[in-house]
Amino acid sequence: MQGTNAHVMGWGVDARREDRPGVPREGERQRMGNAHWTVPEQQYSKEPAVIERRREVTPVYGTVNPPAKLSGVIRRLAYRAPDYRPRRWMLLMLADRIDVLEHAVVPAAVVLVAASAIGFAGFVGLRALRAR
Amino acid sequence: VGGGAQVAPARAMKALTFRAPSVMKLMNKPDPRIEHPNDIILRVTRSAICGSDLHLYHGLVPDTRVGSTFGHEFAGVVEEIGSSVTSLVKGDRVVVPFNISCGTCFYCARGLTSVCENSNPANEIVGGVFGYSHTTGGFEGGQAEYVRVPFADVGPMKIPEDMHEEDVLFLSDILPTGYQAAEMGDIKEGETVCIFGAGPVGLMTAKSAWLMGAGRVIVVDHVDYRLEMARRWANAEVVDYKKEGNAHVIGRLRTMTDGRGPDVCIDAVGCEASGSFMQKALGMAMLQAGSATAVDWSIHAVRKAGTVVLIGVYGPPFNLVPVGVAMNKGLTIRTAQCNVKRYMTHLLDHIRAGRLDPKGIISHRLALEDGPDAYRIFANKQDECVKCVLIPRHAA
Repeated sequence: MQGTNAHVMGWGVDARREDRPGVPREGERQRMGNAHWTVPEQQYSKEPAVIERRREVTPVYGTVNPPAKLSGVIRRLAYRAPDYRPRRWMLLMLADRIDVLEHAVVPAAVVLVAASAIGFAGFVGLRALRAR
Repeated sequence: VGGGAQVAPARAMKALTFRAPSVMKLMNKPDPRIEHPNDIILRVTRSAICGSDLHLYHGLVPDTRVGSTFGHEFAGVVEEIGSSVTSLVKGDRVVVPFNISCGTCFYCARGLTSVCENSNPANEIVGGVFGYSHTTGGFEGGQAEYVRVPFADVGPMKIPEDMHEEDVLFLSDILPTGYQAAEMGDIKEGETVCIFGAGPVGLMTAKSAWLMGAGRVIVVDHVDYRLEMARRWANAEVVDYKKEGNAHVIGRLRTMTDGRGPDVCIDAVGCEASGSFMQKALGMAMLQAGSATAVDWSIHAVRKAGTVVLIGVYGPPFNLVPVGVAMNKGLTIRTAQCNVKRYMTHLLDHIRAGRLDPKGIISHRLALEDGPDAYRIFANKQDECVKCVLIPRHAA
């Protein structure tokens, strides 16, 4: 078989399973990289942006985009359900859609205020013209 | 901020941010800060868009918040270091695994860094990942000028002085992911391996299957230029399921393999697979987490007592797959997010020896500012796009 695939650069160099880094799947216990702790220190910055309360906060976590507004309320509600309940994920998807709308609401509000201002100015102008 | 970290003054960086499904925008954001003694801040010099970023981009991954920055395939230069970092100094060039891993927990100590239990407070399903929603910890991604990298003494690998970032950029994800997929297939010399999906990960899987002694490598897709890439770059036989007809793909694969089916089938597509109206419709109706067509085809196509490997990304809660068929055929099903750190040195050797040339799949290099266009081009498979790499303005 090797002859038929000789045109493929590197064919068969990892054919022996012992040459594959992920075999066996669970390797001998050892520290990965240059980890110099048994238990990592705890992150000292603000609250995690994730709001799971079922487990202890991990030593590191993300802090950006914390839950806010209506979508944030729904996210908090979602995280009350454990990760094995579909309810959590469906609520999070709902929150994601509302989050998008909330961020679209700002320009919509600006448009609404601008339209109202133009309408009001037009109304006042029209009244002024009629008064002449 | 405590822990004696070296703190730089606050600056405003440019970052690609998610605004709505299919809408990305370049925005100013505060620079990331050291938040843990073993953090570093990296000045990003190269950042790729992964196929799995498209699942975020299309709003398919739960808890993807507006304002998030994606990107889990990046390399860069160490700009700031936390007080406990011992392996790196300012100015080091590094490539960073997409997993955030502590290196010592129950799982990391066994080499399973993708399920580290010290980096994702959100659930018991997966470890922390850069720029991949709050479901994986809410960490910011590398499609930005700067990014915070936790556990800097564990994940990042120094880039050899004689190598360019692009030589090793894909050690961050797609190359080890493809290699681990082939490895999970437990390929024996001469076996036939079928890979669904000719995207970047599928191509890397095909290359890796050859390294493990595959006798035949077949790639299934429907995009002409990607199939051509699989044929030319990965020496694979190809099957175009649009030409064959969706309903005949499995029959075609059996015909190609003495009626039995491939020994190993690998799903390198994930939740946005086309090829089945029903799967797509159920996904769009949110009755399942996207389309599971590639899993379905893998289970049906593989020979009895064969191995199916799932590396395509699917969000929770569930998908429609033929479990009964898998059981009756006596299949071995292997799955995993890649434990990247485990493979970096080994695959670096392959790159050095010329057996792998991952940067050969880069089709587009764009400025970070052009990130929204890059997403559109990649998502719509325009301009024969295979892989986009973003270059921030401070990269040089």
